[in-house]
Amino acid sequence: MTTSATGTELEAGAWTPDHAPGEELPPGIGPYRLALRRLRRNYVALAFGALFLVIVILCILAPVYSHIAHMGPNDENVDQATNAVGLPIGPTWKLSHFFLGADSVGRDVAVRLLYGGRNSLIVGALATLITIVLATVLGILAGYFRGPIDGLISRAFELIWAFPIYLLGIVLGLVLGLSGLDLGIVKIGGNSLLIPALIIGVITTPYVGKPIRGQVLGLREREFIDAARQQGLSHVQIMFSEILPNVTSTIIVFIPLVLANAILTEAGLSYLGAGVRPPNPSWGNMIGDGIHLLPAAVHTMLVPGIMLTLCVLGINVFGDGVRDALDPRAKIRIEH
Amino acid sequence: MRKQSRAVLGAVLALIAVVVLAACGGSSSSSNSSSNTSSSGSTSTGTSSTPAPSGPATVVEGTFPQSLDPSIDFTTQGGEVHWLTHIGAYSFAHANGTAGTAIIPAGATALPTTSNGGKTYSFTVRTGMKYSDGTPVKACDLKFGVERALKLGWSAASFLTSTIVGAAEYSTGKAKDVAGITCDDSSGKVSFNLKSAYGAFVDVLAIPGVSFLPASTPMKPEPTNPPAGLGPYMIKNVVANQSFSLVRNPNYVPIPGISAGKVDINVKVESNTTTEASDVLNNQADVFDWGDTIPPALVSQIQGSGRFHAIQTNKTFYWFLNTQEKPFNSVLARQAVQIAVDRVALARLGSGQLVPGCYLLPPQMVGHPTQPCPPTGFNPAAAPDLAKAKQMVQQSGMAGQSVTVWAENRQPRLQWCENFANTLNQIGFKATLKTIADADYFSTIEVLKNHPQAGFADWQQDFPNPVDFYQNLVDAHAIAPVGNSNYEEANDPHIQSELAALYPVPGSQLNSVASRWQALDYYVTQKAYLVPFGYLSSPEFVSNRVDQSSLIFSPLEGPDFSSITLK
Repeated sequence: MTTSATGTELEAGAWTPDHAPGEELPPGIGPYRLALRRLRRNYVALAFGALFLVIVILCILAPVYSHIAHMGPNDENVDQATNAVGLPIGPTWKLSHFFLGADSVGRDVAVRLLYGGRNSLIVGALATLITIVLATVLGILAGYFRGPIDGLISRAFELIWAFPIYLLGIVLGLVLGLSGLDLGIVKIGGNSLLIPALIIGVITTPYVGKPIRGQVLGLREREFIDAARQQGLSHVQIMFSEILPNVTSTIIVFIPLVLANAILTEAGLSYLGAGVRPPNPSWGNMIGDGIHLLPAAVHTMLVPGIMLTLCVLGINVFGDGVRDALDPRAKIRIEH
Repeated sequence: MRKQSRAVLGAVLALIAVVVLAACGGSSSSSNSSSNTSSSGSTSTGTSSTPAPSGPATVVEGTFPQSLDPSIDFTTQGGEVHWLTHIGAYSFAHANGTAGTAIIPAGATALPTTSNGGKTYSFTVRTGMKYSDGTPVKACDLKFGVERALKLGWSAASFLTSTIVGAAEYSTGKAKDVAGITCDDSSGKVSFNLKSAYGAFVDVLAIPGVSFLPASTPMKPEPTNPPAGLGPYMIKNVVANQSFSLVRNPNYVPIPGISAGKVDINVKVESNTTTEASDVLNNQADVFDWGDTIPPALVSQIQGSGRFHAIQTNKTFYWFLNTQEKPFNSVLARQAVQIAVDRVALARLGSGQLVPGCYLLPPQMVGHPTQPCPPTGFNPAAAPDLAKAKQMVQQSGMAGQSVTVWAENRQPRLQWCENFANTLNQIGFKATLKTIADADYFSTIEVLKNHPQAGFADWQQDFPNPVDFYQNLVDAHAIAPVGNSNYEEANDPHIQSELAALYPVPGSQLNSVASRWQALDYYVTQKAYLVPFGYLSSPEFVSNRVDQSSLIFSPLEGPDFSSITLK
């Protein structure tokens, strides 16, 4: 039998504070700081996160490189960059002149790679924003209110979920890409990047909304929610101030996963002609153009393919690191 | 983590094994399919000679025909099928080169007699012919075939509605039959009465689509179950947009000049031109689609294979510019485009198989002008004068105007359209692309209410007469709500008056009006209603299974499947 510093008899193995009575407790570490600490120790995740950041910076600097190369993303130079039968030149490794070669119509692959990356990342980011906002709002509403509201929202999720994601994306992409979106007040042209972003954002929503709904269903039964109700808080106040902070970590974990998925989906739709409309570049439509030049001009397909792989890999590994840092026990995946 | 790594490694190895096995299985199954085709038509002679395989041969097409129903289709992919399955009173000779443009009697006993100032064509139908379902052919079945084509909206219906008395009224539902066609089953006599003399009418009667059809054929589209025909082949095993078979017609009654066919044909669609060409190069398919372009990545291999010929088939590729809308309602703006188009670049993008040109009528056709290209006398095989074009756009007051370029999503047409849009941007317009899937492209731009502003189009000659090009592409009467092929919506009084004078000239007297056609073609190019950029040769490319020396390549209908002989 041991005795605590205050004289209380303690059982063997009981916890004892390692400071003197009256001494102030060290400040606590919040969960997010703790997560950041865990993340900083995950060198692999940091490395891939840095890789993704480098890709983003390169894409942002696309206009700078375009100036160096003296070519815009849609400028063609068929005479200099293709041979007599239309086969494009390969990489010259000269920064100022077709560094990574030319594509099927004599455009600079390196310039289009960076501008295409901008478009792919913009579409991915916008789609992620749309997904996260929609999924959070709808997931919380469904989980909190249950009943008919939950029924309506869940059926909508299931309706979208019932279609194979690419099939739905292709149909919507082809229709909206041709005619654009005219909602009266808002008009979006068929060539706008908003179209593929909206499509991907909406069709990915159920994959995030359902888990959030499930989490909220559990949270709403907790005592602090009862306490909030007893205090007279409105539904909106409870959802915003009590529930939302408790699902934030889930949302943060989802962000990189959804971003990677959105970029991949955009590439797939653009490859199939239903995403970013030509001649605007995107990694997906660059791969699609390059397929027709195999095996003679492999670089046209390989270069955007490698870039896409590195980008998605970077986000995914970094996202895994974020998930491990926030909740090592979590098993969250987006599955098709 | 170690267990997970092993599991991942195991999965990857299993996947590789599956791929290898599938590849081995694929190659062995293709060799089995060719070796299992027995020589059903051969007899055992006791000699050491191996009988030629009886097929089937595989034809790979880049696009499925518009329809396998002959009363609807008017595409190269459909034409090369229907001229063997659904035959009319006349056909084109199954021969190479210019001999293949001659008209031969098919369902008729002889070429027609004309009377009434060239407005009446009469002939007698052969006796004893049968359809593929065994039904005897009757003379009035031809009238039924024409009426069905009009009722179902045949894409080339303007050939009929603009010529035959009562055809236009029938097609709009104002008449119960086509009054201008008279027929008598007992005597076998058929007569066509025309509104006015039309010199190319016998050519029209030879187009697949103007064919005999059993009177019991439903008056509705039958794309997956085409009606019976009297040709040497019949269409079977249709899988929409994927494949179909041409099987030899057991009830075919031989027609002089139209072979019964040596092998059955399997036709499959492969939308990727590189895969399409690779299939033939690697002998996994036998005949390449003559309507497609050899992909640049495989040009050197294919040209070196010894199985490729480039055949001139009078095919013009052009940009249409809608003359009813800004900016191309301005002749100066159109002429700027005419001189700005980089035809040399487009030729490169066409795998080097496009001959740069500026006139609608191709070089081998009567009426092709010989003067330098208007309006500036430019050389289409030289670099364009972009500065001059930009100046002309400024002068027209159309600089900065938005232009939507309608593009077909098919190689190299998409690349051509991208280059064209880039050119428009360089001379001062704001061009954007509207890309349409290749299977839907022409049916989309043919809808008049879409008013496509500018875009890609091409025309393969149906018969060796400038009328074929002008009646469909430039004649104001061709403008139709659906099935419109005058995409630029041109309506020029001078063109109309010239065509009215040229239409009645018989094909046999074309050379007498060659200079008039040349003047008209020069005028159309000067006005830049459409902007031709070149003439594409057609690929005759076969596998090493095919005896290419005996293959007939018609300049009008492409490879004659009935002449395919397997080694």
